[in-house]
Order: sequence, then structure tokens, then C-alpha cells
Amino acid sequence: MLEQSIQELESGSQRRIQSASSLEELEAVRVEVLGRKGALDQFFKQMGKLPPDERSRAGKILNSCKQALEGALEARKQAFADAALRAKLDREWLDLTLPAPGPRRGHLHPITRIQRELEELFASLGFTVLDGPEVETEWRNFDALNIPLDHPARDMQDTFWLDGGNLLRTHTSPVQVRGMERLGPPLRMIAPGRVFRNESVDASHEHTFYQLEGMMIDRDVSVAHLLYFMKTLLTAIFKRDVTVRLRPGYFPFVEPGFELDIKCLICGGAGCPVCKQGGWVELLPCGLVNPNVLRMSGIDPEEWNGFAFGLGLTRLVMMRYAIDDIRQLQGGDVRFLEQF
Amino acid sequence: MKFSYNWIRELVEGLDAAPGPLEKLITMKTAECEGIERAGDLLERACAARVDTVEPLPGGHNVVAVVDAGRYGRKTVVCGAPNCRPGLITAYVPVGKKVVGGVESDGMLASGAELGINRDHSGVIELDSQVGAPLPGCVPDSVIEIDNKSITHRPDLWGHYGMAREVAAISGRRLKDPVDMSLLPQGPGAIKVEVEDFALCPRYSALVIENIEVRPSPLWLQARLTAIGLNPINNIVDMTNYIMAEISQPMHAFDAALLRGDTIFVRRAKPGEQFHALNEEHYELGPTNVVIADAGGPVALGGVIGGMESAISDGTTKIVLESANFQASSIRMTSSGIKLRTDASMRFEKAQDPANTVRGLARAIELLREISPGMRIVGGVADAAKAIPAPAPIPLPLDWLERKLGRAMAPAEVRRILESLEFEVKDAGRHTFSVTPPSWRATKDVSIKDDLVEEVGRMIGYDSIDPKAPLIPSVVPPGNPERKFQHELRDLFVDLGFTEVYNYSFTSEEAVRAFGLDAGAHMRVANPIASDQELMRASLLPGLWKNVAENAKHRESFRIFEIGYEIHKRSAELPDEIPHAVAAIYDRNGDGAAGLFEIKRVVECLLPGAEVCPAEARPFEHPARSADILWRGETAGRMFELHPRLVESGRAAILDLDLRTVRRLSVADFKYAPIRRYPSSAFDLSVITGLREQAGKLEASLASFAGPLLESVQFVRQYSGPPLEEGRKSVSFRLTVGSPERTLSSEEVGDIRARIIEGMRGLGYDLRV
Repeated sequence: MLEQSIQELESGSQRRIQSASSLEELEAVRVEVLGRKGALDQFFKQMGKLPPDERSRAGKILNSCKQALEGALEARKQAFADAALRAKLDREWLDLTLPAPGPRRGHLHPITRIQRELEELFASLGFTVLDGPEVETEWRNFDALNIPLDHPARDMQDTFWLDGGNLLRTHTSPVQVRGMERLGPPLRMIAPGRVFRNESVDASHEHTFYQLEGMMIDRDVSVAHLLYFMKTLLTAIFKRDVTVRLRPGYFPFVEPGFELDIKCLICGGAGCPVCKQGGWVELLPCGLVNPNVLRMSGIDPEEWNGFAFGLGLTRLVMMRYAIDDIRQLQGGDVRFLEQF
Repeated sequence: MKFSYNWIRELVEGLDAAPGPLEKLITMKTAECEGIERAGDLLERACAARVDTVEPLPGGHNVVAVVDAGRYGRKTVVCGAPNCRPGLITAYVPVGKKVVGGVESDGMLASGAELGINRDHSGVIELDSQVGAPLPGCVPDSVIEIDNKSITHRPDLWGHYGMAREVAAISGRRLKDPVDMSLLPQGPGAIKVEVEDFALCPRYSALVIENIEVRPSPLWLQARLTAIGLNPINNIVDMTNYIMAEISQPMHAFDAALLRGDTIFVRRAKPGEQFHALNEEHYELGPTNVVIADAGGPVALGGVIGGMESAISDGTTKIVLESANFQASSIRMTSSGIKLRTDASMRFEKAQDPANTVRGLARAIELLREISPGMRIVGGVADAAKAIPAPAPIPLPLDWLERKLGRAMAPAEVRRILESLEFEVKDAGRHTFSVTPPSWRATKDVSIKDDLVEEVGRMIGYDSIDPKAPLIPSVVPPGNPERKFQHELRDLFVDLGFTEVYNYSFTSEEAVRAFGLDAGAHMRVANPIASDQELMRASLLPGLWKNVAENAKHRESFRIFEIGYEIHKRSAELPDEIPHAVAAIYDRNGDGAAGLFEIKRVVECLLPGAEVCPAEARPFEHPARSADILWRGETAGRMFELHPRLVESGRAAILDLDLRTVRRLSVADFKYAPIRRYPSSAFDLSVITGLREQAGKLEASLASFAGPLLESVQFVRQYSGPPLEEGRKSVSFRLTVGSPERTLSSEEVGDIRARIIEGMRGLGYDLRV
């Protein structure tokens, strides 16, 4: 009798739990059935009046009924919570195709990019990076580099002179002099920087451009060593194997002096418009440091010698990014600069 | 410098390399070739032809001429030359048929310019040859152009003979000397020469020649000069130019009848001395210039240009032929001083060989015999020269040579190479040669053993040297903290959305004035390329301003920055170059406040803890929006809005940091502070004050009253409007207090709060508590 009543309560309550349409309705069922004066509680109270053997049986049934209903209630509650969360999250729909607010990352100047790449490359080979001023003395820019006043090589570089007799450095080579004066031998250094030549500006000429000067002073440095370094560096710069060749070139601060050509990377040496059909592209001047230059910087050329080279940084940047107008580099136009 | 292939071939016995391959060899072993041009291509097929009849062609200046063109037969050609007349012997070239003015013209009659013989295109060339004969001594040529820069150190390569010597050495052939010294007359010169200073003019040789006939040069001579870019003038002038182009010895011929007195003086010009040059210019000279003078005054500017008054003319019959040597630096100074570079000065400034002067005279005698057949030499060579020391021998240790080149060298090979270039090589002990350079290499070019490395290296071929890694100790290179710092800064700017610009180091007076700066305080370029680039920038701001103006034409908003050097005058040897970073945030819309606060955020990212202290505006700054940036107790820069009068539309917020100061302050070392174990307490205070009261000042005052237990003061918000009275605002702060040793009691916190309130009220502030 009791048993049957419990079963009826359970199945009735289960129906109400499953069909509840809100948390409130569910709560009403809980209070009515499982609450402190609820229907189940009434059964528990009646249970005391039963004989012992029936009592334990009824207790089991009541407990299992209680657990089943509690479980169902909890599950139903969770279902409501899940549904509520789902609804809430659905309302939080975002149009992720909208643009993100705030400024974008800016852009490094292309010369900065390549210059840094080279600085890192040289540093990995044990070269230190040195700086010198834009305004230099005539001595460091010319005389100390074996280019005395009456030397025709001074005509090779149209110079900007400043009132008072100083000049705007025409090459980064004076930093060699500074490096030798400051650090002495042995020395491995590069000097990337801004240089100036007094010439009219057009798509391929600038009065302001960038060079990267390099120098190594040690004992018994040879043409073979120069070739090794140049080949190693250029292979790293161009990220592929390059074939280099030296031919005579005249620069007063080196002896012997060379023009270094690389086999054209476009046509592989067969001849194309880039190499003007010659198969080779003139890339950089270099040579063994003239003993006079060493001597003028206080280094004994009988004990030390070395090589030096000058890389046209601006030219390299133009080659790398196929920039056809040199004026863009100092034009400050963000439409150009944002591409890098 | 242009070199005639035919000429070189005359001087190198059996040379069979074609111009193309020869050019490559010269490039690899001697000097850079810039290309090959053909010269006188029409000469291949040209022949002398007689004009038989001439009929006018209606409607123009052209005529129809029938010519007897020898092996080509009788031809009808249309010709526009005014000198085309019956009986004329001229040059016919079979260039094919075309119809001109309705008449079929078969071939052409050619001018000297068209043939490449001279620059005369006023009419067809006039010849006195046999009909059908080729033009005597005139053949097509290839002209190899050498980059002048690659031969500035080689006085000998400014003539064909010098280049021929290289070619002979490269190709292993014999060099032929065009000079026959036995032609020089003996005995005293027919003119006296007095050299004031042999340092300026180490040698002056002269020869007097009479019974000269001035007339056009033979065609072969004209053609050769034309091919290498020289302009044929008359036989005497052409002869001097020919010798210059051949053996690199500039020469000059005076009309002897026009020289006053019997002596040539080589002396410094007197101050203000006037000189009328062959180029019709008048020059005022001074003691740095060397003049060639007669009794009446300067007749030539030594080593640069001849004088008008003593110039050769058609009536000249007697000449004084000058073949001299001048000091290179003096010529360079004179030539750059009067801004006149001539073929002569270009050669002399490379330090020519004094031994070459008399060779020039000998070569002149030989040429004059052909081009002015009746000429007579008067007297011997006048030759004023200082004793020229023989070139010093250079010891060349062969193992040293090998170490320099980085390859093995057979002594016999070294000897062969040096001797092929006419160096004298003697054994000087074990593995050492004693090498004496020839006179033409000894003036400046070759003096130390390193110079010999080049001679051997280039001739053996640098491609014979294999790259080799040096054995050197591996060391960490010294760092460059300044550069590293700048690179880090660049990255920060880029991360914050700024794009890097590079501006010129130059600025203009106009820009400087627009910024209210003092142009006189700037370094000035003595030879600016343009008037807007005549000052060195003492601020990066005018450049940035220009970037803002330009980019504002295309963009509504952008962020840019630059790292560069301000250049400031000072009394030291060099100006002070101070690294600066400048940045701009431009927005076409808005009132500019957002940009300025964004700049402030950048400052706080770059310089943590920096204070922004409003300061009096400079002329280019918004008068109510400018501030100094204080960092660690020092002024490290400035932020402001660009004065709206400098910006056409929109607003530009600007940052300018002195990186020298910033970097100096940023190297401070620090140690960590332990995280506090006891909780802090916070309370809010609102200060009621005037609208222009600075929150920063309030914050500082609050902090000053809070005492040592204060952890932080944070701005929360500010408000103006009802219920506050007009002109008043309420600024709220959150103050946090605490102790590293204990938890503060509520009484302690209350005391601090009360102290602050009392202090602020003491300063006259109203507090809402």
C-alpha cells in the first residue's frame, strides 16, 4: 500500500520535473516533494509507525525514490542553466570581420632593415659595429686615407664643404680611421652610415646615401682571406651561393685595390639587361689596406695588415626590393614606407 | 679616356685579339672598360668620286648629282651639301637606294663628320685623291672607353703607348716604341729657357722649327683624333694633340713670331696678372699659378692652356714647340682654382714622367716631316731640367708576396711579369728581388712593395687565388650600446604603430624661420646643392613637419618617427651631433587631444615613470599644448601639438627626445624589491578646484601630505558641471597606503587620510570627502 503510494509519487513527480518549463516550476516541485514538509517527508514520518521488517524495506524504497528525484531535479536544473548560457552566449554574437581598433604595427625603414641584417651577420663573424659623425675633418675623410690635398682622387668624390673647413663625410671610410685610432689591431669592424656627395638628385643619384664600410686588421691578411670573407658574406646576404671575381680598381686607401664583381644572379652569367649583357655585376670596391693608412693611424704595417671593403648599402636595398627610384628612400612617403 | 684599337694594334706587334676580348682582358688586368664604340664605319666602303653634273632638285636645297665613283661606277645621288659642284672630288659611299624628292638616289656623298674623319658637316668632304681610291689611311676603328677613375693613379695610361704596354704584357707580345730619339738635333737651343722654380716645373724642353706651313692635317690624322674624341684644328695643333694621346705628353706650339724677346720664362704669376687664354677667356692669376712668359708677359698658363696672343694661325711659319713637365699638385690647384680642366691639365695632375718631354719633341720631328714637309729645325733642344733622381729600387721578399696574395708564386713568374711591364728585376739575396720601377711608374704610382703586389696579382690574375679562411682567434666583438639602444627604440616605435622615415641632414633657412629658430646658429654648407639645403639640421622637427604636410595630402591619419642627429655648432674641432628621436601622430579629424595623449602613452612606454610638465610654448608649438618631458630628474625631451598655423588641416602631436640624455639615464642598475606580504588599504579623495588646475600638481600635493606609507596615487576621474559651480571641477584620486612590515590599522589609515585632507585644505583646496 505504502509502496504503491511512493511509486505513484515518484512517477508523478518525475513527470512534473520533466515537463517543468522554468526554474520556478522546478523549484515548486522540489519544495512540494523534497522540501522540509514535502510529500516524501510525510512518508518518512509514516514510516515510524511501520513494523521493523517493513520499515527497513520502505526506507530503502523511500531513499531510492528520493535519490532518483533529486538526480532528476539536478539534471533538469543543469539543462535549464545550459540553455540559459547558450542563449546568453548566442546573444553575444560578434562580427569578427569588423576591423580591429587601434594602430597597426609600424614599419622600419628599408635601409634600417637591411643594415640590421648586415650588422647581425658581421657581428656573428666577430666584427664590431662602429659609428662616426656625419661632419668630419678633412684629415679623417681624405688625408688619413692616403688622399692628400693634391690627389686627383679627391675629384672622384664631390664634397660638401662646411663653413669653417670641415666637410660632410663622402664615405664611411673615416670610421676606419676612428676604429684604428680607438681600438687598434687586431680589428674587425664595420661602419654602416650616411654619406654625402655633392651631386644632383635624380632617380638613380642621391646626394645622401648609405654605405657599409668594413675592415679587418690582423697578421698576414691576404687577398685569399679577403675573397673568403667576401664570398661568405655575399652568400649570406643574397641567401644563395655567389661567384665573385676581383679585378683591378684604384682607391688610394688600399693597395692593391679591387673592384669585386659577382656573377649576375638574374641570368647566372649568361648575359641579361641587369648585367648589361656582361654576365657580371659590379658590387663593391675593396682591397688590402694601404700601409700608409695603417701608419697614419699609428699601426705598424710591417707587423699588421688587413683588408677593407665598402658596400653600397643603399644600392643593396634597391636591389633587394627592386626599388627603381632612389629618391623614395628619403622622401618620407608613408605609402612607400609602409610596404616594408 | 678613349683608346683607338687600331692605334694600340700599331704599337703591339702581332696583336690578334679582337676589340671585344681585348676589352675584357684590359678590364680584368688593368683598368675598367666602359664599352666599345665603332668609329668611321662608312670608311669601309667609301671611295673618292668626282662630281660630273649637278642639277637642282625643285622644292628645296638639294641637288641631283651624277658622280663617277670608280669601282662603283656612275651613280646618281641626291645631295644637300652647298659645296656640291661639278669637278669636285669627294667621298662616295654605297649605302643603298632611296627616293628623295621623287628622284632615286643611289648611295651618298659624305661629309667629314659623316665619315668620322672630323667634325665638319657644313658640306661634303673635299679630297684630292684618284677617283675610286679609298680614303688614304682611313679605316673603321673600335674605340675602347676606359673609366677615368680607374686610371687616376697611372700617368702612363693617359696615352696609347702606355695602354699598349699593358696589352703587350697581357698578351705576351712585343711593344713597339713610336719614338725615335735619334731624330733629336744636337747643339744649343735656339731659344733660352729660364725656370724659376724646378719644384713647380721639373723640366721644360723646347724646340724651334721654321718653314712651317699651317694647313689641315692629313685625313688619317684627323680621323684618328676624331675617333678618340679630339677635334682636328690644323696640322700643328693636331700634331701636339696626337703626341699627347700617344705618349701622354701634353705639348704646346707658340707662333715664334709673336713671342717677345729671346727667352721663355717659367715662373709664378704675379698677383693680379692678366692672361688671355686660347678659349677666349680672361683669367686673373696669382702666385699659385705657373705661367710661361716672354719678355712681355704670360703666353701660356703652364700645363693648362696656351695663350691667345701667341697662338698658331694660318700665317704662322715658325714655331716654338714646348714639351714640359709640371708638378701635379700645382696643376691641380690651378685647374680647380680657375675651374678649367683641359686634356693637358688632366694628364699633368696625374704626375707625368719628366723623361717624356724630349721624347715628345723627337716624335714631333717625325710627324712634322710628314705633315709639314718643308719644315726646318733651328738649333738644338733647349732643355731646362733639375736633376731627376733615378727611381729607388724596392726590395720584394717573395715569401711576403706569397703571404699577401695568399697563393704560391714561382720566382721566375714574378720576374717575367715585372719585366714585361718594364720593371728592372735583380736578385737580392735569398728569395728577395730588388725591383726598380720604370720612370713612368715612379712619379707617384709605384714606390712601395705593396704596389708590386698589385702588379704581380693583376697580371697573374686574381681568379687564380682561391678563397681561404683566415686562422684568427675567435673573440666577442666590442658592443655598440648606442646603436643597440637606437635599434631597440626603433622596435618600440614600430610596435606602437609608428613608421620610420629618413630625412636629409640638410635644412633650409625658410624651414628654420618657419620654426622661429636662429639660422645663424646652424652650420652652413659652403657649396650647397640647392638653396633649400644650405644649413645642417639643428633639429629634426622641420624635416618631420615636411613629412606631416606631405603625407597629410594622402592620409587621414598616420604615425611616423625618425632617429637622426642634430648637428650643433660649437668651438671644438667638430660640431656636436646629438642623437634625437622625433615622432608625429597626425589626424585630420578631432581636436588633437587624443593624439597628444597617445604621444604621452608612447613617452610612458619608452621612459617608464616620466613626468610631463607643461612648459611655455615655443613659436612652432600650440601655445596651450606643450610640455617638457622629465625623466629621472632631467629634461629628456618635449611633447607638444604642432602650432595649427603650421598644419593646413588636422592636428599633429609631436614628440622630440634627446637620446643622448635618455640613454645616459636608462643605464641605471636596479635590484628587485620583495613583494609586500601585508595587504594595503585604499581610499578615494576628490579635490574641487579651478578648471585649469593641473591634475599632476594635485597628485604631487596629495603625495606630499601622505607621508612614507603611501604606495601610490592614481587619478580616477574628473568632472565639471552641476552641482559644481561654473569654472570649477572635481578631480578624484585613489590613494593606496600600506607597510612592508604589518597591516595598517583602520585608525592609522584614517589618520593619514585626515592629514592629507588637512594639508590640502591648508593649500586652499576644497575637498569632497
